[in-house]
Amino acid sequence: MPETDDPHELGEAEFRNTVHSFEFWFEAVQGYLHGRPYGSPGLRESELTERQRQGLITTLCNYCVGETAALDASSGMIGFAPDRGAKIFLATQVVDEGRHLEVLLHRMKQLGVADPDAEIEQRANRSLLKFKERLLEFVDARDWEASVFAQNVILECLEYTVFRHHAGTADPVTAEMLRGIVSDERRHMGFGENDLGRRLLMAPHTHDRLNQIKRELDSLVINTFAETLGELGVERDDRPDLAGDYLAAVARLGFRS
Amino acid sequence: MTDPLELPASARRPRQTFELEETGFNEVPKRFRRFYRRWRGAGDKLGPNEALCPVCKVVIRSTKELRAGDRVYCMPCMSRLELVEEEGMLIAKVIY
Repeated sequence: MPETDDPHELGEAEFRNTVHSFEFWFEAVQGYLHGRPYGSPGLRESELTERQRQGLITTLCNYCVGETAALDASSGMIGFAPDRGAKIFLATQVVDEGRHLEVLLHRMKQLGVADPDAEIEQRANRSLLKFKERLLEFVDARDWEASVFAQNVILECLEYTVFRHHAGTADPVTAEMLRGIVSDERRHMGFGENDLGRRLLMAPHTHDRLNQIKRELDSLVINTFAETLGELGVERDDRPDLAGDYLAAVARLGFRS
Repeated sequence: MTDPLELPASARRPRQTFELEETGFNEVPKRFRRFYRRWRGAGDKLGPNEALCPVCKVVIRSTKELRAGDRVYCMPCMSRLELVEEEGMLIAKVIY
């Protein structure tokens, strides 16, 4: 960790080494996870109607698919990450994704789901499963740009928006759990945009290839999370601009929508 | 050398400095926390030493007044930003 307490005084390399480090991750997550077993500080359950409970379970099943995709992908990406800093950062992301999956499964059990795996199998959105399959194909092919783009830009940006919105309307236990996840997602999507941004400056020809991937994949995730908001009973007029953060990120990277 | 009288008024006067206090922001290591705060929504206003991160919507704070051309870091999302003036407003843009 650097000697200065003023982050804006750091040089670029020192900043990147700092924020990609396990030391930074450990001190950061202590701030918002310490004393919160399974992401919640022992809050009392609120009454949910059966319709609300079922909608929440279906939503959590889809969140589990997204988090499992990110867990499998980020762990695989360590093997072909371009430098040590990226490897170390991805190791912290693996830990985050594993924790997300664990707290989501725990929440499902609190909601009375006896066999979460069976529920996920039954309720998972087919588009999201298709997205996961394609993401893992990029990882199997050791395609760094496509993997970072699909996982850290498309998936993480959309999860960040949906979780943030859901945290604002959910029951207190689910809301606290989601807030902890959102704090992690900031790092994951920021890593993706910045890594890809630097890479596109050095290899502009990558742009067309990633644009094709964008066209193929982003609608799968946008449609899934739009359906998620429906399951949560959010009226069409009250739904957030789901793709707003994501479209802003890809616009900064030079992609047209 | 630029004639100081040709510079905009904001650039001619010395920069204001600020004592930063804890804001309750807890997503970075303790010693960096006072340099960030949460955006409080539509009614919130940025101070002269603050900029909004376009990537993760956290407010970045500095010990000095920010001006166009300054570079700051958003630690929560790992972004490097430059302040630019657009239509009279100071905007943070990501530099990769």
